[in-house]
Amino acid sequence: MSNVTLVEQFNPLLRVDFELKNSFKLLTQINKDRALSMSFDNNLLTEVHGLEYVVGLGIPANLKYTKDHEWVSIEGDVATVGITHFAQKELGDIVYVEVETLDQTLDKDEVFGTVEAVKTVSDLFLPLSGEIIAFNDALESNPESVNADPYGAGWMIKIKISNLAEVEELLSTESSEIPTIEI
Amino acid sequence: MYPLKAAVEVIQLGRISYGRALQVQKLYVRRHLDSKDKLHNALLLCEHPPVYTIGIRQALYPFEEEQRLKLLGAEFFRSNRGGLITFHGPGQLVCYPILNLGCFKKSVRWYVCELERTVINLCRKYGIKAATSPNTGVWVGDNKICAIGIHCGRYITSHGLALNCNTDMGWFENIVPCGIVGKGVTSLSQELGRDVSIEESIPRLLETFSDQFDCTLHRGEYSNNE
Repeated sequence: MSNVTLVEQFNPLLRVDFELKNSFKLLTQINKDRALSMSFDNNLLTEVHGLEYVVGLGIPANLKYTKDHEWVSIEGDVATVGITHFAQKELGDIVYVEVETLDQTLDKDEVFGTVEAVKTVSDLFLPLSGEIIAFNDALESNPESVNADPYGAGWMIKIKISNLAEVEELLSTESSEIPTIEI
Repeated sequence: MYPLKAAVEVIQLGRISYGRALQVQKLYVRRHLDSKDKLHNALLLCEHPPVYTIGIRQALYPFEEEQRLKLLGAEFFRSNRGGLITFHGPGQLVCYPILNLGCFKKSVRWYVCELERTVINLCRKYGIKAATSPNTGVWVGDNKICAIGIHCGRYITSHGLALNCNTDMGWFENIVPCGIVGKGVTSLSQELGRDVSIEESIPRLLETFSDQFDCTLHRGEYSNNE
């Protein structure tokens, strides 16, 4: 026997994983390890320490996206649509969301409504063809929920999808303007 | 290597009605959307006969309000821009930049900020100290000198700003401008104590616009043959 090694690891030593109200996930983790190695050939004792910090940010991944920074959540043949965190931040404080196309059947890329913020009105584009079956009325009195919780309470409309093939054309991650953090 | 400066065509429409201007804007927006290139940036300059316009939040202005204002001799229009009620009329320089923000910066907030800065710089050339405030628009103290309200779809902008040059301020007394109670309105003429016409302000506006947006301007003619 020429070598004895002792390894101890805390993996994780400490881990905090939480999900915010706007569906963002945050992860912080600390890993520690130590390896002690005794070599009998040259009577050498070696110690190696490791300390690792891990920080993670998660955004809802079960969503599809459009190039206009809208998210789409699909359940069967009903799609729920809203705008992304990037879009609401870009627009600023939202004061009004107008959807007058309720119960209408429209094609993909047609304008289904408008969102007003900071003296600007921006068009909202339909991600999938279909009938607009629901509009989030809560937005009439609380348009700021689009800013506060864009993936949850800030949902805008529900569509009854008429052409499921179009779902394949949606993006699976938001386009490149979103910042990614890698450690 | 520096990126090429965006080119913007300046179209002077003169005195045209608000409704007609909406059609012209739609045309220029269509040109942006129909072509894949970024060569259709335009800056429309005009003046309107008296008209009150509102944005998409029309519940605040019911039919009775519309009738009341029409009886005062002005037109009444509902548009798809942001903001609440405002007035356009003779003596007010109205500027509609129909730009593809892809040529500049793809941010609507940045665009509104740049428009405000353009007007602030214009005022500075006249020696007027203007600033922004928590309410959009350009202010001289508690009085608004320029209103801003825009629409944006797929990064193509329409509507724009309205700068009071020698407008008759009386028209504003019939409304609460932009829904902001307790503040007033002013004009270049009022601030400087002399008559400042639209013709005088246009070259300065174009100068500050091309500086602020870092673009080149060239004169164009309005043509509707597309």
